[in-house]
Amino acid sequence: MEKKRLNEFLLQLSKSYELIAPVKTDVVRFERVKNPETIHLEKNAYFPLKEYFFKKEEVLFTFTGNKIQETTLSSPKRAFFGIRKCDLNAIHHQDIVFMKDTQDPYYIAQRKNSLLLGYHCPSAPSPYCFCGSLDLIDFFDLMFYDKEDHFLVEVGSEKGKKLAEKYGKLFSPSTRLMTQADKVIPGADRLDKKDISAFYDHKDWKKGADICLSCGACTALCPTCYCFEIHDEVKAENVNKGERKRSWSSCQLQEFTRVAGDHVFREDREERFKHRIYHQLEYFKEKYGVQMCVGCGRCIDGCPTRIDFVDIINKMEHGKEETESKN
Amino acid sequence: MAKKKQKAKTENPYIPKPYKVLEYYRETDDNFTITINMKVKHDPGQFVQLSLPGFGEAPISICSDSEEYIKLNIREVGTVTKALGNLKKGDTLLVRGPYGRGYPMQYLTGNNVLIIGGGCGVAPLKGIIDYVENHRDDFKEVMLFLGYRSPNDVLFKRELEEWRNKYHLQVTVDEEAHGEMCYDAKHGFVTDVLRSTPINNENKIVFVCGPPIMMKYVIEVLKEKGFNDKQIFLSAERLMYCAMGVCCHCMIKGKFTCVDGPVFRYDEMKELSDE
Repeated sequence: MEKKRLNEFLLQLSKSYELIAPVKTDVVRFERVKNPETIHLEKNAYFPLKEYFFKKEEVLFTFTGNKIQETTLSSPKRAFFGIRKCDLNAIHHQDIVFMKDTQDPYYIAQRKNSLLLGYHCPSAPSPYCFCGSLDLIDFFDLMFYDKEDHFLVEVGSEKGKKLAEKYGKLFSPSTRLMTQADKVIPGADRLDKKDISAFYDHKDWKKGADICLSCGACTALCPTCYCFEIHDEVKAENVNKGERKRSWSSCQLQEFTRVAGDHVFREDREERFKHRIYHQLEYFKEKYGVQMCVGCGRCIDGCPTRIDFVDIINKMEHGKEETESKN
Repeated sequence: MAKKKQKAKTENPYIPKPYKVLEYYRETDDNFTITINMKVKHDPGQFVQLSLPGFGEAPISICSDSEEYIKLNIREVGTVTKALGNLKKGDTLLVRGPYGRGYPMQYLTGNNVLIIGGGCGVAPLKGIIDYVENHRDDFKEVMLFLGYRSPNDVLFKRELEEWRNKYHLQVTVDEEAHGEMCYDAKHGFVTDVLRSTPINNENKIVFVCGPPIMMKYVIEVLKEKGFNDKQIFLSAERLMYCAMGVCCHCMIKGKFTCVDGPVFRYDEMKELSDE
């Protein structure tokens, strides 16, 4: 596709879909776009797409006394454009949790009418990127590869194929086959591939934990983190009426494991920090066969003290595992 | 048409169903047992999510063994459980479940049973006691060691006499009793009487549930007596919301207490234990 055709394509698409793409306001963020000219593709969005599918806060049902009223679940047809490889894989990982392992009606309702149109990074858009260090897959309806004067567009699904056919006039056929070289993102492989299971008791985790402020920015900015809590809220004017809500929660806070009676199971920052990293790189893989982390680097970029767990892991060496003995 | 569509959909797993309180019994100042009309197949050690709209949900282990009803023993320590304490016979509450992996009783037949509980940790173990009673021929000798903080905290008083008549039962209380010392309880920790009672490890399975510190010392004593890891089953407590292995609050390393547990064999638990 010629680059100048892109806006025309998106404009036409926005007649039948809500178009959502990265725009630069205070930071780059995914927003509803009326005019494709405002789309920003230089940097990746500061906030991931997560909130469009797995909402920050969601009403599970409303109640009056013991009577439950289920909420009506629906979402408009939405086309997401400009999603990077990391964020596409993050959606794939949340699909595993909410659509394969469990059938989450709330997530499915938001997710089912969506079109995923990727933008392949010509090079790492942030110094913290490390998607190349993880085994990411092709997961998109269409992927736009930036080739200076044109986009090479790859079809990744039946939906994507139909779309390319429908707007066929705007695309020109290409005889070029995609190669592995097209899929490499230069400058995005800074995490050394190593087995961190041997490093669980390594003293270097302290480097991160010591400067952690327990603010939870890392988990809120993460496109894959999917932990949540459930709470009831009642109406001030009638306490019999209310809503059961679920909302994002952060494993970096003590509250995350606090049980009645005030016992906290992961009381130390170091344990919480390690739990996040091991869940991202190991535990999720043990359960679902794929690492959860997609290497977007947002948890590092958005951390107020710039805790760089990639750097911490890269510097870990065998023989230096021992912490002060615990028992 | 809308109705038809809903039927075709899979059920929303977050919607609890209403049940009636058939019996309410106050065990101690801060603990009570309710029986509800939930007819469901379950294993001892499994739990349900109880809820009172407006207060929220709390995971409570089932302490009975029947397909006609379930009994739940609840300690009033949090917002939800305190609100549940105000229930009366005939009231309605909302339940979803049962959830989790309970005690694998059907694979443990032919064994002697050793049950060691502390405080409200006795609740899930009572499910085993009831199960063993319902399948008495499948199990041999039964020994119960139950520890409580004080005589006022002793649970399942109604059942104690029956257990004493049928099984080897020892009850301990940490704090010395003022006035009358009922239930033939000994003063001391449950580990003390466990240690001083001659028990060999032959053909035995052990079920332990209680505060983390109590479980730790009980295991030490069991090790002294020659028990191996695979003979010991523990039940873990964690903060839980979804109970379906999604919300991640109950994770112990890579395992989910709500689906992989709450019952773990000690060899599985040990791998998770340095957290």
